[in-house]
Amino acid sequence: MAICLLKNITKSYELGGESVEVLKDINLQIETGDFLAIMGPSGSGKTTLMNIIGCLDVPSAGEYYLAGKEVSHLSDDELSLLRNEHIGFIFQSFYLLPYATVLENVLLPTLYVANGSNREATEGALRLLKLVGLEDRAKFKPNQLSGGQQQRVAIARALVNDAELILADEPTGQLDSKTSGEIMELLAAMNGHGKTVVLITHDRITASYAKRVVHISDGRLKLEENAQDIQDRGAVI
Amino acid sequence: MHRIFKIAGQSFDAVQAFKLRTIFCLLSVALGIAAITVIVAATEGAYKKAFDMVERFGPDALLVISGSEEARAVGQRDKTLTLDDVRALQEALSGAYLIAPMTSIGDVTVSYRNQKYQTRVIGSSSDYSNAWSWPVVEGSDISPEDVKALRNVGLIGTHLALELFGEIEPVGKHILVNSIPVEIVGVLASRGTTPTGSNLDDRLIMPISTVMKKMQNEAKYISAIKLRFVDQSRINGYEEEVKSFLRQRHRVPKGEPDDFRVISPKEIIKFLVALTGSLVVFLGVVGVISLIVAGFVLANLFLLSVKERTKEIGIRRSVGARRRDILMQFLGEAVIITTLGGMAGFVLGFLTAQLLTRVAEFPMHFSWKAFTLGLLLSWLIGIAFGMQPAARAANLKPIEAIRG
Ligand SMILES: Nc1ncnc2c1ncn2[C@@H]1O[C@H](COP(=O)(O)OP(=O)(O)O)[C@@H](O)[C@H]1O
Ligand SMILES: [Mg+2]
Repeated sequence: MAICLLKNITKSYELGGESVEVLKDINLQIETGDFLAIMGPSGSGKTTLMNIIGCLDVPSAGEYYLAGKEVSHLSDDELSLLRNEHIGFIFQSFYLLPYATVLENVLLPTLYVANGSNREATEGALRLLKLVGLEDRAKFKPNQLSGGQQQRVAIARALVNDAELILADEPTGQLDSKTSGEIMELLAAMNGHGKTVVLITHDRITASYAKRVVHISDGRLKLEENAQDIQDRGAVI
Repeated sequence: MHRIFKIAGQSFDAVQAFKLRTIFCLLSVALGIAAITVIVAATEGAYKKAFDMVERFGPDALLVISGSEEARAVGQRDKTLTLDDVRALQEALSGAYLIAPMTSIGDVTVSYRNQKYQTRVIGSSSDYSNAWSWPVVEGSDISPEDVKALRNVGLIGTHLALELFGEIEPVGKHILVNSIPVEIVGVLASRGTTPTGSNLDDRLIMPISTVMKKMQNEAKYISAIKLRFVDQSRINGYEEEVKSFLRQRHRVPKGEPDDFRVISPKEIIKFLVALTGSLVVFLGVVGVISLIVAGFVLANLFLLSVKERTKEIGIRRSVGARRRDILMQFLGEAVIITTLGGMAGFVLGFLTAQLLTRVAEFPMHFSWKAFTLGLLLSWLIGIAFGMQPAARAANLKPIEAIRG
C-alpha cells in the first residue's frame, strides 16, 4: 500500500498581495518501504513539498493521503499527533536543542507521547544511540560533537518514536563527502529495516543511495528517473 | 509518565539553561513579594500587638486622663482630676470593681550608691498592679497601709532595676528619689516597649500619698484614674456614664468640650492600626509597583526568549508538540521562575521585617498567611504576564518557526 499519496497538490503563498504558486499540481505516490530522492534546484519547492508530506504544512488545494487517510483538512492537534507517531524529520542544520544533552535530544519526540514509560523511552533512545555509534556521547551537549555526529543524533531522534516515514531535507548539505557517505549509509540501512525514506537533495551522489528519484523544477514534478541511471551517472562523475 | 509532567521537566531544564533571564525575573518578583510579605506581617503584627495591649490595658478598663487638648489650648490648668473625683466615682459607679488614682512625674533623678538614673515616678494606690494587670514578680506589692501612712516604699520596673542595681537583688535596698530615701519592696514583671518607643519598664511606682505630699507638694489634683469594670461587654455604656458623671462634677457647661480624656480599649486598637497603616500604605504602593514592574520585566524577557527560541519551538512542533504543549512549557517556565522569586521574596521580606522590628520596634508577625499570599501572588504574576509570550510561542506556525 502507498504510505503517501499526493493528488493534484497545489501550494501558494501570498506575497505582497500577490499569490505565488510554489507547488503546481503535484501527483506523487510513495510506497511503503520506498527510498525516494527528490531533486531540484534551490527554490524549486523541495522543502515546501517535504513539509506537506511531513504534515508540518497543509496544501492550498489537492488531496494528501497519509497511510490511506486524507490529512489536508485535519486540525493542528491531529497533525501534531501524526508527526509525533508516524514521521521523523532530519534537517540540513541538524536542529538539535543546544541546551539539552544528546540523550535528551533523542528523547524529545517521546515527551509528546500521551502516556508511556520513561524508562522504556530512555532504553530505546540508548539503543538507537548505539545503533548510530554514539552510545558514549549520551551526556554530551550538541556543540561538543562534530557535524556528522550531530546528524546521527538527529537520525536517532527521528527513529525514537518508531516512525515509519523518515523525511530528510538535504541531510548532508553541511557535511564533507566522507561523512555524507556515512550518513547516507545509515539512511539506507534504515530503509533496509523497512523504513520509508524520502530524501531531498540536489547532489547526485547523495541521490544515488535512493531507489527512485523524482525531479522538481519551478514547483512541478518531472518524469521519474530510474535509480540505476543515476547510479551510473554518479559513477561517471 | 503523563505528558504534562514531562513538559514540566522541559520547563525546569529551560529555567536552568537561561540563567540570566531567570535571575532578572526572579529578582524583580522577589522584591515585590518581599514588600507584600512585610505588609502582611506588619498588619498581622499590629493586630496581635493591639490584642496584647488591650489584654494588658484590660478589655474591661478605662483610663481617664486629666485635662484635654482643647482646655490646655485656652490656658486652663492641665490637671483637672482630683482625689475627690476618685472617691465620688468609687461611691457612684456600682459596675466598677477597681478604681485607682494615678499621678506621674517625669525625669526624676534616682540613685543607688553612685549609680544615677533619670526615670518616671508614678504615684498610685495599692491597686496599681491589679489595675494594669501588671504582676509583682519579686518581693511584695504596695499595701493600703503604705498608702495611708505615706511610707517611702516603691515597686521598681525591670529596666530601672538593671540600670541602678545591675546584678544586685533590688528588693530590700534603699534608693534616693529626689534625695528622699525609698525602700524597694517589689519588682514589676517586664513589659517591654510601646509602639511609640517608650520603655514601660523604666519606672518607679510609689504610694500616691507619698508622691503628692513629699514630691509634688500637692493636696488635690492627680494625673489620671484607671477604672476596671465587672462586665466588659458594657464598656461603652460605662464610658458614657463616667464622662457625664465627671462633666457634672466639674460643672462643664453643655456644648463645651470635656476637661479630661477617656481612653478605652477601642481607642488603643485605633491608634495601633493608624500607626501601622502608614507603613502598610507605603509598602503596599512599593509592593504593587514592583510586582507590576516584575510582571513587565518577565513578559519582555519572555518575549525576547520566545524570539530567540523560535527554532526550538519549530523543532518541538516538528516532533509532535501541540500548541498547548508549547504554551504549557513557556507558562511553566514563567511560573517556576516567579515561584522561586516569590520564595526568595518571602525570605527577603522576613529579613526586612526582622530589621524593622529591631530598628524601629515595629510589631511584626509571620504566619502561613504571609507565605500563602506571597505564593499565590507569584503564581498569578507568572500566569498573567507569562501568558502573552507563551501564547505567542504556541501560535507560531511550525514551518515558520523552524525556519527561525
Ligand atoms: N512562507 C513562505 N512565504 C512565501 N514564499 C515562500 C514561503 N516558503 C517558501 N517560499 C518560496 O517558495 C519557493 C520554494 O521554497 P522551498 O520549498 O524552500 O525551495 P527549496 O527547498 O527547493 O529550495 C521559494 O521561492 C521560496 O521563496
Ligand atoms: Mg529547501
